[in-house]
Parts: sequence; C-alpha cells; structure tokens
Amino acid sequence: MSSSSVPEQSHGQPAEVEKKSGFLDKLVTLGWATPGFAWLALYLIAPLVFIVLVSFWTYEQGVRSGFTTDWTLQNYTDLFNDSTYWNNMLSSFMTSVIAVVACLVFGFPVAYFLAMKVQSLKYQIALFILALAPFWTSFLTRSIAWTYPLMGREGALNQVLTKLGIVDEPVQALGFSTLSVRLAMVQLYILFMITPLFFVLAQVDRSALEAARDLGANGWKTFREVVIPQAMPGVVIGSIFIFVLTMGEYGTVRVIGGNTVSSVGTIVQSKVEIGIQYPQGAASAVLLVAALIVGVFAITRFSNLREEI
Amino acid sequence: MAEELTEDHAEGAAIAAPSATLAPPKPSGSGLDLVGLTKEFPGGTVAVEDVNLHVDHGEYVVLLGPSGCGKTTTLRMIGGHEFPTAGQITLDGQSLVELEPHERPTTTVFQHFALFPHRSVLENVEFGLKMHGVGKDERRKQARAALEMVGLETLGDRKPRALSGGQQQRVALARVLVTKPKALLLDEPLGDLDRLLQLRMRVELRNLQRQLGLMFVHVTHNQEEALSMADRIVVMNDARVQQIADPLTIATKPETEVVARFMGDNNVLAGTVTARDGDRLTVETSTGATMSAVAPDSEKAVGDTVLLSVRAAAARLDDGATGGQNTAECEIVFVEFLGDLVKLHLVAGEERMLVKVPGEAYASLRGREGERIRIAWKEEDVQLLRA
Repeated sequence: MSSSSVPEQSHGQPAEVEKKSGFLDKLVTLGWATPGFAWLALYLIAPLVFIVLVSFWTYEQGVRSGFTTDWTLQNYTDLFNDSTYWNNMLSSFMTSVIAVVACLVFGFPVAYFLAMKVQSLKYQIALFILALAPFWTSFLTRSIAWTYPLMGREGALNQVLTKLGIVDEPVQALGFSTLSVRLAMVQLYILFMITPLFFVLAQVDRSALEAARDLGANGWKTFREVVIPQAMPGVVIGSIFIFVLTMGEYGTVRVIGGNTVSSVGTIVQSKVEIGIQYPQGAASAVLLVAALIVGVFAITRFSNLREEI
Repeated sequence: MAEELTEDHAEGAAIAAPSATLAPPKPSGSGLDLVGLTKEFPGGTVAVEDVNLHVDHGEYVVLLGPSGCGKTTTLRMIGGHEFPTAGQITLDGQSLVELEPHERPTTTVFQHFALFPHRSVLENVEFGLKMHGVGKDERRKQARAALEMVGLETLGDRKPRALSGGQQQRVALARVLVTKPKALLLDEPLGDLDRLLQLRMRVELRNLQRQLGLMFVHVTHNQEEALSMADRIVVMNDARVQQIADPLTIATKPETEVVARFMGDNNVLAGTVTARDGDRLTVETSTGATMSAVAPDSEKAVGDTVLLSVRAAAARLDDGATGGQNTAECEIVFVEFLGDLVKLHLVAGEERMLVKVPGEAYASLRGREGERIRIAWKEEDVQLLRA
C-alpha cells in the first residue's frame, strides 16, 4: 500500500528493502525448518539409512551386535529364495488390497451420505465426529474387544449365529484367523478412507450435479461421470493411507491373529526379536518398504493428485 | 434496414401483447406455458404463487425482481430442479411436470457456470451429447463448432479453472447450446462477471439468441439488464407476478407500486381523489400538487386514496408556470450531475421527488440547492398504480 502511494520516490530504496526482507524471510524460514528437519534426520532418516546398511552386512553368531560390517548380498539372496517370506508378503499384500477395497466399498456410502445427503452443516459435522468415534477408543482396547468377547469361539458373534440357527457349530475361523485379522483391519482403518472422501465430496459443486442432470445425465450417470471423478483424489489418498498402514501391520496381526497368522511385519519382528538376525530382518524391512513404494506409486496412477487438488 | 427492424419489432410486440393481457393462458400447443404455477416449500414458505406465463419460441423473456421474489424458483421448476406444488408447465403441448431434468428439452446456464472442474473445456461442451449417446467423433465435431460459435475454439484443451470468468461463461453457453434445447434457461447468467464484461455479454447473448431464434428465459435482479435484453419482462415480487410487458411499457407505464418503485426513478405519490370526470381522475397529493390521470380501468371514486407514479424523466423544469394541475413547487435538495443527465433531488410538500433533465442543464442548475423551483409533467405520464 505504501509503495502505491509514493510512486515518485527513487526505485532503488524499496527494492533494497525488499531484498533485505527477502533474505530475512529466508533466514526465518530456515529457523522454523531446522528443528523439524533435525528431528526427522535423527529419528527417521538416520535409522532408515542404518537399516539399509545393516541389510548389506553379514550375520555372525557370537558377535555381540549379531553382525559384522562385511558387505554381502547374502541377506537378499536368502530372502528371495525364502518361500515363507514371499507367501507372507503375498498374504500381507492380499490383506492390504482387501482392506483397501472393503474400506472403499463400505466407506464411500458413509462419506457420500455425510457430504451430499446431510443438508445442515451442523448435523454434517456432528455425524462426522460421531463416525470418528471408534478412533477415540484405544487401539488396544478395540483390538482385544475383537478377540475373545466378539469373535472368539464363545464370543458374541458365534453365539448369535448359533442361537439363530445360521450355523450348527461355532465358527472356528472367526477368531484368531486371517479372516478375523482382515475383518478387524477394515473396522480399524475405514476412517482413513471416510475422512478424505468426506472432504473431497463436500467440495463437489452441487450446481455441477444439477448441470449434469440438466444436460441429460440420469442419477447414475451423474454419479459416474461427475461425482466419482471428483472423488478420485480422496479415494487415492485413503487407499494410500490404508495400504501403507495395513501392509506393514504387526500389532493387529499379533493381537487378533494370535500365533496362527503371520505377516511381513511379524516376520521382521520375529527375525529381529527372536532370531536376533538383524541383517536378515533389515533386508526384509527394506523389501517391505520397496513394496510399499511400488504400491503407493501404483495407487497414484488412478488420479493426477497434483492437478486435481 | 431501419424500417425493416422497426417493422419486425412492431410485429413482435403485436404477437406478444395479447398474451400479456390474457389472464390464465390456455396451453396453446406451441411455446412454453406456465399455468397457475405454485411452489410451497416444506415449512410453509410460498416461493411462487399462481404464476401464469406464455413464452413463444424465439422470444427473449426476462424474469425480473428482487432476491427472494421467486424468479429463480420459477426457472428451476421449468428446468425440473424444483417440483411445483400446484400448476402446470407445458412445452409445445407436452407436460413437463412429471419429467426428470434430464428428460426435459430444456437446459440451464447456472449462475456460477457449474462447469465440471475435472473435464477439459471441450469435454465439458461434449458432455450433453455424450449423455444423449452421440458417438465420439460426431460429438467432438459438434462441440468444436459450438466452441467456435462462442469464440473459444483455441481453448478446448484447458481446464475450466484456467479460464477467465467471461470465458467460463462462454463455455457454459456452448455446453448448453450444443444439446439444441427447445428452451434455454439462464439463472443470473451475467451475475458473476465484472461490469464491463456484463455490458458486452448482454449484446453478445442477445445477438446469439436472435441468430439461433431460440426461446430464452433469463432471470435477473438487474433492471437495466432486463430492459436492454428482453422482448418481454416479467416483474415478480413476493412470489407473485406484478406485471408482464415489453420493456418500454415496464419502464414508462408501471402498473403497480412495486414495479414503479423497483424499476427506480419513478416518483410514487399518494393522494386522494377529489373529482372524477369519466375516465379522468383529479387527485390531491401530499406534494401539495393537484394531479390528473386518465385511468379507464379504475373503479376509484371521489374520496378514495390512490397511488400515482410519474417518471423522473417525464417531469420537466417549468420556471415560467404559475401553477395548476400537474405541476409542483419544490425545493432543490441536491443537484446530481451524471454526465449526460442531471438528477434533481427535490422536496415537494412532504414528499421527496426526483427529476431527470439533460446534462446540458447542469450549467444553469449548479449550486442552486436550497432554491425553489417549479416542475411540470403531462397528464399522460401520470400512472394510476394498483396496490
């Protein structure tokens, strides 16, 4: 404002001030960024680099650390020949895909209802917070509630099923099984799908929906041609969240699956904690991260996030 | 050529005039008919009440009124985005009320354009054809032609957000025109544009409509826009139609107080009838002036209170006159110079009055605030208003 009111003054001065403040701005930005960066460097980047290094070092019994710093590819060749590892990778991948698809299938109607059908903003926010309710309870409480009380052999679900005569015998597969792990994951992670979907759908221009109807699209075509394309960024973000979180899952698998279910996460854990095979564990973890990166990259192909958000 | 134009105009007016005066029109089989159209929202708000209107093909009709008057709801009912609680909508004899928006031969240009943000300009324009099952090559061709018509043929690959407001408006137009609707509905189509662009788009829109010979129903709250674009104006207020007439009639012969006030620059004066001689009423007004008006349809008798309207531009300065009917003595409150005209803000008796005189008069009026002045008008410029 001041520069517009004094256009007659020398041009050098304001430019210099701008330059100076520009430098100061940069310094301030740097100041703000430093603690966060230092934190990340110390607690994320350094450990990651270290894990990658360890994965190329040699396992040796008797040494206190469990490995020597001799370079080797043995950890990886072992893993590539280890069918158990790949079976687990595949099973974890399937679990993740199922979780993503199920969260999308069950989460989309919820988000759609919240964003498009609830008219009053007050109710919209209230219902959204209510939908987040499972998130308030502790992860461990929810997971444990899932095991014996709900899904166990004598659990509530089996009791209902037998009482109603739907099954003769309590269903064994409900508790401590791959099925129960996958069911639990959908319930635990569905909010990561509902939330981004709710926000992208809430931004869809209602008059664009009317315009589509006006131009000859029936309800379904409007949904397919106008709603879904605009929901894609939310689908992609939700899918990335759920894919990454479930693929590396270890806690849920342990609690819900008991000892009968394994995943890439539990393998890494057992190698490190039980076998004390750090190089092997590191290599499995590195491969897991690689798989995650490939998966995330594949998911982003569904929508041009940079352009759409 | 000028002759041809005026002839055309007269003919248009002749066709339009009877339908304006015909109360509840019968669906005639050609054009759009609204009969007794009423919309009551849940909760009891009556948004539109007993609207009757006939619009011919090729006619440009503007629904004009303040916000909340029901004009947009009326338009949305024609388009199928609201459903009437009573009344009939027919287009070429076919009832539209039971049809979904996508089944109606009407399309709407929405106020904020409502373009699809995820589709390119060309894909936006193609959309209607795609929904109607037109093959890819054919719809590409037609969409390009439509973009050419609005002058945007080079911007087909852009996303809507990369366009200016005026360009988005054109895309919205091309998108609806490509579907060849029987009636085009426009909801405040110029409302999102800056003023200069509005003025240009008025001309462009009207030219386009003439070129296509299409029925346009246009909603606006802007009096000037309505007067400059419409074949006929429907003035609405408080859910009801106030007056349906061509722009000249609306501007010079308002029928109701609401129309007279809403169109602006009308002096609305209350008074009491002191004499009636056939169709001629003599009225004593609160300005202190005695006015006469010819009102053949009025049942007002001596002693009745009436409302009269005189256009600001119909009054003139009359320094020489000594008094009599249809003159008033006023005090000048403010002389407002607007370039090609001068607005004189006056007080006559207890009433504020407004007189518009040509800009040249400013030289002799400048600085005369506080002085007294006499104004006069012709009897035929006095309108008796319905309440």
